[in-house]
Amino acid sequence: MHVLVVEDDARVASHVVKGLKGEGWLVDHVADGRQALFQVASETYDVIVLDRMLPNVDGLKILQTMRASGDSTPVLILSALGDVDNRVKGLRAGGDDYLAKPFAVSELLARVEALSRRKGVVQEEATELRLADLEMNLLSRTVTRQGQSIDLTTREFLLLEYLLRNAGRVVSRSMLLEAVWDYNFDPQTNIIDQHVSRLRQKIDKDFDPPLLQTVRGMGYTLRA
Amino acid sequence: MRLRNPLRHLTLRLTLIYIALFCGSIGVMLGVAYVAGVWRPLQVVEARIQDESDELVRIFETKGRDALILALDRRANAPSLRMPYHVLIAPNGAVVAVNLASWPVNRGEEWLRYEFDTYASGSEEEHEAVVRDVLLSGGYRLLVGLDTEDLDEREDLIEEALFWGSGMSLALGLIGGLVMTWAVSKRLESINRTARAVIGGDLSGRIPLHGSGDDFDQLSATLNEMLGRIEELVSSISRVSDNIAHELRTPLTRLRAELEELAASTDDRAEVEARSAAALDEAARLQSMFEALLRIARLQSGPRGDLESVALSPLLKDAVELHQPAAEEKGQTVELDIAPDLTTPGDRDLIFQMVSNLLDNAVKFAPAGGTVTLAAGRTRDQRVEVTVSDDGPGVPAQDRERVFERFYRGGQSEPGFGLGLSLVRAAARHQGADVRLEDAGPGLRVVLTFRA
Repeated sequence: MHVLVVEDDARVASHVVKGLKGEGWLVDHVADGRQALFQVASETYDVIVLDRMLPNVDGLKILQTMRASGDSTPVLILSALGDVDNRVKGLRAGGDDYLAKPFAVSELLARVEALSRRKGVVQEEATELRLADLEMNLLSRTVTRQGQSIDLTTREFLLLEYLLRNAGRVVSRSMLLEAVWDYNFDPQTNIIDQHVSRLRQKIDKDFDPPLLQTVRGMGYTLRA
Repeated sequence: MRLRNPLRHLTLRLTLIYIALFCGSIGVMLGVAYVAGVWRPLQVVEARIQDESDELVRIFETKGRDALILALDRRANAPSLRMPYHVLIAPNGAVVAVNLASWPVNRGEEWLRYEFDTYASGSEEEHEAVVRDVLLSGGYRLLVGLDTEDLDEREDLIEEALFWGSGMSLALGLIGGLVMTWAVSKRLESINRTARAVIGGDLSGRIPLHGSGDDFDQLSATLNEMLGRIEELVSSISRVSDNIAHELRTPLTRLRAELEELAASTDDRAEVEARSAAALDEAARLQSMFEALLRIARLQSGPRGDLESVALSPLLKDAVELHQPAAEEKGQTVELDIAPDLTTPGDRDLIFQMVSNLLDNAVKFAPAGGTVTLAAGRTRDQRVEVTVSDDGPGVPAQDRERVFERFYRGGQSEPGFGLGLSLVRAAARHQGADVRLEDAGPGLRVVLTFRA
């Protein structure tokens, strides 16, 4: 998998590049808007991480140029401008996801992963999601573990579905809030944790080994 | 105070302009009086003298000297409002007929205004007459006139009025102007003094009031109110920055301590993991606090114009559902009273965050087994109102403004940054909405009123 990182701050860039390489990505990095335009035109990427404020050419300008030329590579916008208006502006310009600075590298990795899968959207819609002995049937909307049926509320079902689709990867609390509740805000408190812990009660308490794990300082992961 | 360069004072300049206008109007008024009361009557008198003298000349030319003398006598004795005068002088200088006390010996202008005195009734009387001086054939000289003493007196009166009127106006106006300038300057100076004290950094200064409730008092009261507001804001800002400094310092210190220990304990794997996790937690907490602060600051930078129409009823249900587990954990009941199909102008994510923060507080402060209520409906003026109430300890009336301050936590021990309500208010104002606290007896009720 090939990713382009467009970021002018050398230290932020080195952390991001290091993190992505650690996850097995092939990473190109440019620090300048004009170079980024050139790179985007001459290479094919699976995901592009694009800083909004760049020397020479603005990040949003690059994005608009790409989209105007029919390039639909998923783009994650990074920005120090973290409020709602700027987020909306970034997404309207053709961005696929938005991450405000300062961010945790783990969160960026999780989001890049999620975007890379979105590119192959055509992947035939699975009717079943499975992790070890945990099975989810998306048609009958049932969940079983070790053959035992587990009763979930609608929200818990959505939560588990998102975790299953991202099995093995860390998802942050705000990613869950965006994906499962469809609201974008920083919850400040542990409300998401309480939903996750209820889900954990249902899928892990009476079974072994535990699948749903908390990653301190980052979020959660569903892992066999 | 002394008046340095008096013309720099607006009041004095205005007074001078006013005096000039006033004198001008006196002049115009008296000018009109002069034209109507003196000049026009003089014209009439001259016209009559012209007629009469022409007639007398004709009598002399056709009927001779004696007929003229007779006519002059008749004229002198005929009843008339104005005393008629005449002098007829023979070519040799002898006076033939006269009823005028004196006259200019040498002939000058044909028309003249002539002043003379009489002693008719024993006392001296001043007279003035308009006289026509005509030369007749044969060397005779005839002077014919009418008394115009009344017009002369009137003219003097007008001149006097002009002199005293404008003189007194000028004098009184100047004195009044100086007094007014002094009084106004004194009031302005007291405002100036206070303003200079404020510039110098003393925000507690207030403009002394006169107590008369005049416009200067009103201005001063308004300015004092403004100063009060500024003082309050500045002290709240300095309180908030103290709080920010304190709230940031503590987790930064902890973060640093964790990292130092981490650096020192690289051989113990479990220790390293625990330390780095703790450091990450601290960093995440700091980041989250920092984001909330930035968010509040951005929201406070001004209201938004382009608001979408937000379907409130499902949003409120989502918010309650999000907080349901937390409430259930404390054995609390969440009651809902949401009118169907409510929509209001706003920002969906912001409204969700506001309601979420309020529910978070309500769950935090309602006692175990207590009740949290979320209600939404329309007010009489068709604005959407959302209320979140709990049956907890509530907030005493005197603290209801302070809870909106950043980092104010009212000495309670619940976890949190003390930013929730600050964010709610900033978000509300950003969307043109209002937020207020009420006593739910017992407990606290927070009311959000959205824009119509």
